[in-house]
Amino acid sequence: MAMDLSVVVPLFNEEDSVGALYESIRSVIDDLEMEAEMIFVDDGSSDLTYTRASQIAERDRRLRVVKFRRNYGQTAAMAAGIDLAAGEIIVTMDGDLQNDPRDIPKLLEKIDEGFDIVVGWRFNRQDKLVSRKIPSLIANWIIGKVTGVPIKDNGCSLKAYRADVIKHVPLYSDMHRFIPAMASIAGARIAEIKVRHHARKFGESKYGLSRVYKVLLDLLTIKMIATFSTRPLKWFAMLSAPFLLLSTVMVAWALADLITDGDLSLPIAGTAVLLGALGVFLLFSGGLAELISSTGTFEVDRMPLLTAQEVALPGRNHPMDNDAVEDT
Amino acid sequence: MAQVVELSAIVPVCDLKDEEGELALEYLDALRALGKSFELVFVLDGEHQKLRAHLERHAASEPEIRIIQLTRSFGEATALTAGLEHTTGDIVLTLPAYDQVESGEIRRLVDSMDKFDVAVGRRRRKDTGRYSGGIRRQLFHGLVGYVTGHRFRDLGCGMRALRRSVTDEIPLYGDLYRFIALLAARRGFRVVELDVTESSVSHHGGKSARVYLARLLDILSIVFLVRFTKKPLRFFGMVGGILFAVGSLLVSYLVVQRLFFNVALADRPALLLSSLLVVLGLQLFALGLLGELIIFTHARDMKEYTIDKIVN
Repeated sequence: MAMDLSVVVPLFNEEDSVGALYESIRSVIDDLEMEAEMIFVDDGSSDLTYTRASQIAERDRRLRVVKFRRNYGQTAAMAAGIDLAAGEIIVTMDGDLQNDPRDIPKLLEKIDEGFDIVVGWRFNRQDKLVSRKIPSLIANWIIGKVTGVPIKDNGCSLKAYRADVIKHVPLYSDMHRFIPAMASIAGARIAEIKVRHHARKFGESKYGLSRVYKVLLDLLTIKMIATFSTRPLKWFAMLSAPFLLLSTVMVAWALADLITDGDLSLPIAGTAVLLGALGVFLLFSGGLAELISSTGTFEVDRMPLLTAQEVALPGRNHPMDNDAVEDT
Repeated sequence: MAQVVELSAIVPVCDLKDEEGELALEYLDALRALGKSFELVFVLDGEHQKLRAHLERHAASEPEIRIIQLTRSFGEATALTAGLEHTTGDIVLTLPAYDQVESGEIRRLVDSMDKFDVAVGRRRRKDTGRYSGGIRRQLFHGLVGYVTGHRFRDLGCGMRALRRSVTDEIPLYGDLYRFIALLAARRGFRVVELDVTESSVSHHGGKSARVYLARLLDILSIVFLVRFTKKPLRFFGMVGGILFAVGSLLVSYLVVQRLFFNVALADRPALLLSSLLVVLGLQLFALGLLGELIIFTHARDMKEYTIDKIVN
């Protein structure tokens, strides 16, 4: 069943807010002239979240409720919602009422302008300064610098995507933070707009800020995958080059010593051999990486092709446009 | 031709066995008492001629008994998998091939299937009522609990009841069948550990060094399976990072000594050690990156989550 819009909301122990959440989203999509559905993903809640959500779903066919067998985390919940979504545009948002569904039309407008991903920016964020806002500022700055996609608020869940882009971006573990960065590898056009942000009404913040270590490693992964979107061997070769070079120089030095003094400098020779071994290891790792990325079901170098479009030329029918074909 | 039954009891017959096939009759009685339709399947892993002859004799009069013969000895996991493939019951019961647990305990495990997806036995002694297994078993399970976060106390107990949906979802290669309760718990199935009475004749074979090594490797594989699957770089990066940090500190210490305090490097084995650590650290890091690449390229196929229900 083709849909225009799917709103995906991960829920974890939100029994108090699920009703209000449904009402606020419903009132927004009722005003839109679109075929829309809502997908609530219950991420293994231990309270009545699922019961309440499924009660609402009995009254409203537009609401689909997915129940996880246990808690898998926000990214997995979003991934499940996105996998099931039938809409051409997918909007994701938090289930804790901190995002405001009234911003959805603004996001959709931007998508209509031709952007593939529209990211919300919580410009007046209603969270604790020291424990949430400052770490997030630093994290966003680093992520922007490393990935080259300067987004002010990677952590905001309120985002809109063109389905054919987001459905092809691998989503796992804590990767939802990097969707814009990954999508930009795919050449997606990204826009960022200001969205409202409300203070928490119910419950505690559940998805706390991840530890720096994890974010940094994830970032490294993204960076690596982004840089070698063409060929991983090249990336590993670049990594191994300084070691191989240093090793060659040191071997030469040690040999020169041997010839002139007749005495082999053991520290230099030993270190040279070790560095050489490391270089060779990295080079062959690159070979393995090449093998992996070419046999994997998702080929990294195909990512930029997701967003490739034929340019509509005046006086010609767009070959992919079925309506135009029917007219002639 | 397998008929439709509610319960399939599978007995993988590997090394430890009861030659006379008396256990078959005992199990048969216990299963009959449940009042469910069932099949009792013996999977003979390797040649067990004597047992097979006895079983065939029993099977002539007892239609519930079935025998599956593997062409050679493949190990318990393969025997179980073969048993699963040849049975259809919604409830799967695995039973030890030797007198390990009193057959009367089957009822409790099967009854608990109303509320749980997996029930595993925890053996306790008949005479003293104390939990069996010494310090070694506690150590093993403590270690498993520490690395996986799931506390079990008797994973080795051969009597387990499972729903078919569990065995359909969890692959049982290698020695992983031992951890099926743990893997099921990780996938969000409801798992319970029930006290079962150990048979009085239960024979603890002397454990050789090989068994300990095998258990240790089991733990290792479960560590990799648990830590690896989503974010390999976090695991590899941590180990590699520590080695790298220790190595670089040592190297810089040596270099400072050489440059400013004129301590010769040539006769210092510490140099070799520290540079090796640096190299090893970087190698582990590179392996972690390869792992990430594998996950990334396959992430679209591997659903990270398991869905219980979908409404609408």
